[in-house]
Amino acid sequence: MDMNEKKVTEKVENAEQVEETKLPDTREGKLVKALIEKAPYVEGNVRRERRVEFNVPAERIHDFLELASETFEMLMQISIVDWLKEGQFEIVYQLWSVSESVHAFVRTRIPREDAKLPTVMDIWPVAETYEREAHEFFGIVFEGNPRLGPFILEPREYEKHPLRKDFNLIPYVKAIYGDDFDRYDESKTYYVI
Amino acid sequence: MGENEGFINYELQEFKLFEPLFKWARKKSLWIVAFCTGCGGIEIPPLATARYDFERFGIMPNPAPRMADLFLITGYVTPKTLKRIIVTYEMMQDPKYVLAHGSCPINGGVYWDSYNVVKQLDKYIPVDVAIAGCMPRPEAVMDGIMEIMRKIESGEANGWKRYRENYEYYRKNQDKLFGEGWREKEAKRWLAWI
Repeated sequence: MDMNEKKVTEKVENAEQVEETKLPDTREGKLVKALIEKAPYVEGNVRRERRVEFNVPAERIHDFLELASETFEMLMQISIVDWLKEGQFEIVYQLWSVSESVHAFVRTRIPREDAKLPTVMDIWPVAETYEREAHEFFGIVFEGNPRLGPFILEPREYEKHPLRKDFNLIPYVKAIYGDDFDRYDESKTYYVI
Repeated sequence: MGENEGFINYELQEFKLFEPLFKWARKKSLWIVAFCTGCGGIEIPPLATARYDFERFGIMPNPAPRMADLFLITGYVTPKTLKRIIVTYEMMQDPKYVLAHGSCPINGGVYWDSYNVVKQLDKYIPVDVAIAGCMPRPEAVMDGIMEIMRKIESGEANGWKRYRENYEYYRKNQDKLFGEGWREKEAKRWLAWI
């Protein structure tokens, strides 16, 4: 017992030490530190080797991405998380640094109603496609992107933004594909397949 | 005409004698349209290569729908794919057979509540043989192909006849999903002669 308790306390102490030294003295830590010095409005931390994270307020996102694009040359993806209870969209810009081999997640949150963000097409032209996709599936307006509009989906789905969490699937599916799909049950709210 | 008046003649009456030969020949020379929908397309290379080698049964992947007999629906069918499937199916010469492959064309499979996956394929085109499973192993696909060969020989694989006889039913379902006049509006973009 004593041995075990000792081990646990040691572990806890070690964990605290890790939390205290937030930015480790590694390649990633130096990268984050340099960026935070230039842009003091962001929170940055190192998730693990080759993986860093930044939390940016939405009004400074364009400034920060422009700054970050000096070290992170590539925009790999723009992914969206729909936080329904908080009423927010979380936009994650995934950047890749070719020179440093580091993958960065730049997170920002905007309200779900009337969601707007400035486009990053002027930094990475490839963002056009990612922003069109995010616009189609979630209804976020990227101001400055000239090609927002119906993209992959049928026009009737474009109007509804089907990947939003409050998009009600089953009435839509019943209306489009017919009532006779067999696994639907009114009394259930949760399905396991 | 004469005694057959009232329903469509599919075979030339003069060659009625050779019908068993034709059926045997059709069974032994199934050419597949190289049209891979969904995730099951990746199950075709193991079938085509040395281990299961479907060419020993006279089956061959073929890029042209005009020369093909067998249409493999390999996996989920989205409305956009279904438009292409219908056009390709109608371009194929009679007789033509459809093998639905996997759970998704039967009832939607894991995409049973998805907004973008067609739930029952046989509302839109006739299906001769359906293989359940997600994914079916190549053995299951070979078994389905054997089944379709048996059905061709016994005359049960008559989806192409059903499509002609019940064309209004299939057309009604297609128009309900895509809206009236989708052929003129959209299929014309990729097939100018329609």
